[in-house]
Amino acid sequence: MSTQDLLGKYILDELAKGRKSKISPQDDLLSEGIIDSLGILQLVSYIEEEFSLAIPDEDVVIENFQSLDALSSYVDAHKD
Amino acid sequence: MIDVIIIGGGPAGSVMGCYLSKAGIKNVLIESAIHPRAHVGESMVTSSTRVYEEIGFLPTMEREGFVHKHGASWHDMNGKEAAIWFNEFPQEGINQPYTYHVDRSRLDLLLLKHAQSLGTEVIQGVTTQQVLFDERGYANGVRIKVAGEEVDLHSKMVVDASGRNTLLGRQLGIKKKDPIFNQYAVHAWFENVARGNPDTEEFIHIYFLPVERGWVWQIPINDRITSIGVVAEKEVFMQYHGDAAGYFNHYAQTNPALAAALANATRVNDFKTEGDYSYSMEKFVGNGYMLIGDAARFVDPIFSSGVSIALYSAKYGSQYIQKALESGDYSEELLKPYETKLRSGVSVWYEFIRLYYKLLPLFTHFIQSKKYRIEVLRLLQGEVYDRKEVAVLKAMREYIETVEKTENHIFRSRLTSIPIDDLPDFSEETIAKLE
Repeated sequence: MSTQDLLGKYILDELAKGRKSKISPQDDLLSEGIIDSLGILQLVSYIEEEFSLAIPDEDVVIENFQSLDALSSYVDAHKD
Repeated sequence: MIDVIIIGGGPAGSVMGCYLSKAGIKNVLIESAIHPRAHVGESMVTSSTRVYEEIGFLPTMEREGFVHKHGASWHDMNGKEAAIWFNEFPQEGINQPYTYHVDRSRLDLLLLKHAQSLGTEVIQGVTTQQVLFDERGYANGVRIKVAGEEVDLHSKMVVDASGRNTLLGRQLGIKKKDPIFNQYAVHAWFENVARGNPDTEEFIHIYFLPVERGWVWQIPINDRITSIGVVAEKEVFMQYHGDAAGYFNHYAQTNPALAAALANATRVNDFKTEGDYSYSMEKFVGNGYMLIGDAARFVDPIFSSGVSIALYSAKYGSQYIQKALESGDYSEELLKPYETKLRSGVSVWYEFIRLYYKLLPLFTHFIQSKKYRIEVLRLLQGEVYDRKEVAVLKAMREYIETVEKTENHIFRSRLTSIPIDDLPDFSEETIAKLE
């Protein structure tokens, strides 16, 4: 699975919990309430484990988490 | 001659009586009420067990059937729940993975009787008017009122355990309001509260509210009764012009999980209010006297720390009273290490409370993170004394500082106005002295 598929699946299964059945790459994850504040930190832990990378606290910014596109580019750019 | 007069028969005063009596010190406890009497503060942390064990009170706690508290659970505004279990981390010197929820009228009566059985002379229904001082400025007794008559009782030392009444603090003008916290609580007992999943129904449940520093407690008192309390900043409460029920009912509806828990609940006693929330005395000791429990310091009760602070202040305080009586030196200087010790522990609570309120999502994250969960748990268990470094507080502070510095950080909008610099009690000086 691609980075984007993995992230999309995790968000749908673990974070959106029925609030959404499908997420498009450009959907606004934050303002649409697909993930909430606790969800973001859960997502950070998931990415750190799944992709073996450490996300510095200062990278938890809107630009990196706004959409699946943004998130997967960030992860792809930082993983080994 | 009486060695020590203790003002107040709540947990702090009674446990002080227990320790002193066990050490063979002649002590008299004066309580203004006649127990049993109602009191807020119905949930505890596990470190309390150590003190109950030392004074031989643990069998009573078990015999009386107080509800076992195995953990704590938090509910955010979106219906998410995060829980911790005390058994995840064993505590030295404690052989049970739970603490208790209590009906304070019963607990306080039982503790008072326990002190009496160990040798404390207990006088109930008598108001202490003031602490007396000799010509050198040493406390040497109290003035009480008995049947309309003022009577002076003398002793070598005086312990103020008058609780939130803060008798000596007010007499000496050393009571300082907390610069940050000024909350107000409205609480009552209910029947038919849906306490949640069977595995956590006997936990304390904390519900977040959509106002800064606002939260609700759910504490099981017995099979039937659950205590519910709404806490928010005083200004929020003032908007209701004294309508405690209106205020309570409004906020009880704002968190969906809480609204569900209360859907079929009925109130069984009157609403009670607690104001003037947090404060500290400038000093906890002076020549011939010592302040313990709420008479010394009160911090926001979000982590159920109050009774534990009362018990540990009595435990540590009694050690220095013993030293004073053995040496005949009742000076402030001799008693000061007690204050340093108590302050260091309470400061850990206070720092934890401030960081918690500063950025709520962070706390829920920390208790779910592999790296910090156990450390947060140790704080929640009440292990705050004799700690040189509290790594998790440092980590929380660093995270918050990053959020403050980072323009577009996702949590930026979630930061509250709580100042986290200029720690009044957690200064380098206090820590250095401890080490």
